[in-house]
Amino acid sequence: MFENIPDDRLKVVGKGVERIDTIEKLTGSALYAGDLVFPGMLYGKIKRSPHAKAKIKKIDVSKAEKLLGVHAVLTGHELDYRMGLYLVDKYILAKGVVRHFGEAVAAVAAESLVIAQKALDLIEVQYEVLEPVLDPVTALNKNAPLVHPDLGKYDYVQAVFSPVPGTNVANHTKLRKGDVEKGFEEADVVIEREYTNPNVQHVPMETHVCIGQWQVNDRITIHTSAQSPFTVRNLFAHSFKIPHNNIHVVIPYVGGGFGGKAGIHLEPLACCLSRKAGGRPVKLQATREEEFSLLPCRSGLVYRIKTGVKKSGKIIAQKMTMYWDAGAYADYAVNVTRASGYSACGPYEIPNAWVDAYTVYTNKPFGTAYRGFGHVEFSWGIERHMDLAAKSIKMSPLEFRRLNALKPGSVSLTGEKITPDTGNVVKCMDAVAKSIKYGSLTPAEKAREAKTGMKIGKSVVALHKAPAMPPFTGTVVVLKMNEDGSVTANFTLTEIGAGTYTSVAQIIAEALRFPIGKVKLPIENDTDHDPYDWQTVASKGLLLSGNAGILAALDLLAKAYDMAGQILRAGTCDLDHDEDKVFIKHHPDRFVTFKQMAVGYAYPDGNAVGGPLIGVGRYIAQGLSNLDKETGQGNPALDWTYGAHGLIVEVHPKTGEYNVIKVASAFDVGKAINPVSVRGQAIGGMLQGLGTAMCEGYIYDKEGRLLNPSFTDNKIPTSLDLPEEVESFVVETAQIDGPFGARGVGEHSMIAVCGALGNAVQNACGADLTHMPIRQEDVWRALNSKVVVGKKQ
Amino acid sequence: MLHEFSYVIPREKKEILTLLKNLKGKARVLAGGTDLMVDIRAGKEKPEIIVDVKGIEDFQGVAFDAKGSLAIGSTTTCRQLMQNKILRQKFPIIVDAAGRIGSPQLRNRATIGGNICTASPCADLGTALLALNAEVEVASIDGVRTLPLREFYIGVKKTQLREFEIVQRIIIPNNMAGAKYGMEKLKRIKGHDLALASVVMIKTESVLRVAIGSCAPTPIALKEFPADVQLKMICEEARKMIDPIDDIRASKDFRAFMVQEFVERLFKKLQ
Amino acid sequence: MKIKVKVNGKEYFKDVSGNKTLLRFIREDIGLTGTKEGCGAGECGACTVILNGETVNSCLVLAAEADGGDIETIEGESENGKLSKLQEAFQKHHGVQCGFCTPGMIMSIKALLKKNPKPTEHEIKEAIEGNFCRCTGYKQIIEAVRAATGQLKRQEELRHV
Repeated sequence: MFENIPDDRLKVVGKGVERIDTIEKLTGSALYAGDLVFPGMLYGKIKRSPHAKAKIKKIDVSKAEKLLGVHAVLTGHELDYRMGLYLVDKYILAKGVVRHFGEAVAAVAAESLVIAQKALDLIEVQYEVLEPVLDPVTALNKNAPLVHPDLGKYDYVQAVFSPVPGTNVANHTKLRKGDVEKGFEEADVVIEREYTNPNVQHVPMETHVCIGQWQVNDRITIHTSAQSPFTVRNLFAHSFKIPHNNIHVVIPYVGGGFGGKAGIHLEPLACCLSRKAGGRPVKLQATREEEFSLLPCRSGLVYRIKTGVKKSGKIIAQKMTMYWDAGAYADYAVNVTRASGYSACGPYEIPNAWVDAYTVYTNKPFGTAYRGFGHVEFSWGIERHMDLAAKSIKMSPLEFRRLNALKPGSVSLTGEKITPDTGNVVKCMDAVAKSIKYGSLTPAEKAREAKTGMKIGKSVVALHKAPAMPPFTGTVVVLKMNEDGSVTANFTLTEIGAGTYTSVAQIIAEALRFPIGKVKLPIENDTDHDPYDWQTVASKGLLLSGNAGILAALDLLAKAYDMAGQILRAGTCDLDHDEDKVFIKHHPDRFVTFKQMAVGYAYPDGNAVGGPLIGVGRYIAQGLSNLDKETGQGNPALDWTYGAHGLIVEVHPKTGEYNVIKVASAFDVGKAINPVSVRGQAIGGMLQGLGTAMCEGYIYDKEGRLLNPSFTDNKIPTSLDLPEEVESFVVETAQIDGPFGARGVGEHSMIAVCGALGNAVQNACGADLTHMPIRQEDVWRALNSKVVVGKKQ
Repeated sequence: MLHEFSYVIPREKKEILTLLKNLKGKARVLAGGTDLMVDIRAGKEKPEIIVDVKGIEDFQGVAFDAKGSLAIGSTTTCRQLMQNKILRQKFPIIVDAAGRIGSPQLRNRATIGGNICTASPCADLGTALLALNAEVEVASIDGVRTLPLREFYIGVKKTQLREFEIVQRIIIPNNMAGAKYGMEKLKRIKGHDLALASVVMIKTESVLRVAIGSCAPTPIALKEFPADVQLKMICEEARKMIDPIDDIRASKDFRAFMVQEFVERLFKKLQ
Repeated sequence: MKIKVKVNGKEYFKDVSGNKTLLRFIREDIGLTGTKEGCGAGECGACTVILNGETVNSCLVLAAEADGGDIETIEGESENGKLSKLQEAFQKHHGVQCGFCTPGMIMSIKALLKKNPKPTEHEIKEAIEGNFCRCTGYKQIIEAVRAATGQLKRQEELRHV
């Protein structure tokens, strides 16, 4: 919508205006869920399993229950509710068995954290430790122990997922396009390799926290740091069989989510504790160590790619097999499998494709949604593989990508036809290639090599992603006019840091032709007061809520014009407006102000017309379809955001020490609603991607215990880890059905950074790595052993 | 802190030493808190009483003593070490090592005494002090004893310090003043991290000393070399003396390799 | 035990238990929730406050240790209902995304600027090295500080291709 308005006619959209949500954050007055205190509030604490797989033989809570100050103690056998977003496989507290290190086994609510901790220490649990399943490939062996022997009895979304009962496969997504075996026969070269990723944590600066209250008559109030208030309410309603109206979910400021807060996590337990404690509110806040083990992470991946290439450089066939190490529960992992399944080859045209993507249960902390939704993980494999394929036919990796890139007329993996309006990945690649002067070293770079003894390498990689969401995802924006002619917009996209609120405010302001100062978007989300939104995930918020915002603005204006028409005795076709008033086009001195109409118009004699001005905009994804379960064909993509990274790295040829000199990123965002905000996303996501690439990842011992559940050994990038130079570009191929031509970019900046680093390191010094993270030691090992360094044993 | 304890801050040295003797291990000494507080939170330490040592003047300050050795009060923070004029001029390795510990916030609190008493094998300051052949002055109600730092360390996070004793001062011999120095620390990120392997090299006109961190149960000092020693000898001695392990941070092979690399780099730097 | 502290210029006289951290004290006893707990172990810097002129991880300091001390938190940064120059620069340059690291970040920068009113980019990076930010990638924070100190010559922008 409005995708063709030239830049010079836009007042607010396209400008880097200040964000509307940051003053409270800058002054410390923003209240996050952990800051809230309620009368009678109790503090919850969770006892966690020290084992990856064990039978719970006995839990004795008698001493804990007797401790003064303890109001509730819960164990799994009291909570016979199974929950799950797509596959209902998880009890609130482990019941009979524990399936991962850190799993919640019991919980207490007490008058202080000190008492709660004492109570926890008094709970005695007897375990029979069992042999855990820790690898997603061997978990598929015929006699592998089963993480969920009852898989066949679980409810699941049948239209979309395919669990395989009697195995550790929670979901098998298939995609079959063309004839892959014939393609391999016709290929001149066939390249096959495996790439691996460990579990990684989101590390939001604010850990998971919620306050649950379950009062008489099943009236439930939840304050939570979460991304999706209506999902929390809906899952709650289904799992506990309580009417939706009984459940009130409030989300205040959120200190980062990155997908980890997209679903439902601590809320059911907090509420159950509250119920047992007679209805007192219970606050449950994860410590950082609990964030790393109790709360979910990102699934690991083993990705086997077999590609057939013609000497001309065209990819003719590709077989892709993904083994998602999803951990103990399916959560979002089944959908990550599906979403990566249909996107699995990257932004390239594969005429003959075969994808088998498995969500595999293992006895590890489970994988949930994480920025990129599978794309960071598989992009590592694809982009490393593209370089390998290019080299096998002695072609420049950039040329190879250009040749095979999706372009107008190409057909995607799912059979979708790419049009000129889909986006331009080649333009993104060209922009970053130019920025890093890809293809050779500059004199300055050569001088740097000579001076430091380090070797410089460059790479260009590309990416794409469509929102992974149900094809029927919809949203609403309600726009209310205030007495002074300003507007307040209510919607439940949550502002988790990405800046979407400001962009939507800009869109609404532009559609209304109001200055942005007149548009308020309250940060707090409330299922009782605010209208529906599916979830704040998938980089779909800007498009869907932006469109809904435009429609709400147009609706409000239509009502205002209707009222003004009556008041001014004019047809609406003869009216126009500015930020203050509606006036007759050819007699502009005849007008009525918004202030006069805001809550209904009163004539001098007291007669009233109209009513309070309110606009409602609803938007639902148009024309999307489920994927065929056998062939994977369909139309799942709301939009495709393409992107590319160019990366320059210098590597010490002896020790493997490396420095990232420059990262250039480009994304086809359709329209940068707020360029400063887009840049913020581009850089923030890039550094988070570098974290995955350089230093992050769970490390387990042979028994499946997490060995690095804290910042001591789970490092994330600091300010000193920024590349020396960062450059951000946007291409603007308008998304016809996007607000002012915009499409989302929240996840994309993270997706291909890992492949960029791996390729650049190899180009610099020859170190060939197929596992992440790329630590200095791994580069050293690859340099010295001259072999491909694979998965850490 | 979820573990409950009481807190006292004595103002006189005699007071604190008496307290420690009487409390028989139920107390822990608090200086910067950057290790102790972390350990209490993790449940590794469960003291009944915390004795804050920052109020004792005897444990503060940086000054030359009568023999010309440099005495550094144990509660001197990394920040104070980094800003101290004497250290900057005469013992810059201490300034360098202190600057590598943690983040700015941690450096404002972490103390030299704390670093030594925690006795992590990775200790940055500890390794630098070993290279300087430092001594530790230990006080108790029974008196004061001085011993070389290399004897003070006895194992992974274990020292000779008994529960009623306090490290009072760290003594740097006067022949180390003005020495050329270099330090290399292997980390996982450019931000703050503990050492996966570290090497400190000090060279005066007559001697060359090397200390290595994270490659043995404690930081270790190689035997003292004459100033004109050949690189080969140092490499060989380093190879012999280190005993690195495989852990989640690094493998022993890589640590051993990087120690050799660091020794080479530092040797060349100090020529 | 009773302690006397000054927080953002105001005096308080409070009773605390020996094991109460300065972080909990500020949030619960003084009622200023701007300072956050991110890890509780002195790694992430979300709890950074200025104590007697120096930044500290308040999760590792006991309230009792701050007796007689002068504490500055994020709530003291704006004056007379107006944002400080630093806060305004953060606003303009999008140095804030989710905001959870922001209070601690501002305190580290405030302490830096007191000693070094015109820090280089590297000096800024070193000063905030103990303040983790997962959202911004630090760049726009650094630019905000450079702008606030009159040093931002050329605003790096998103380039349109």
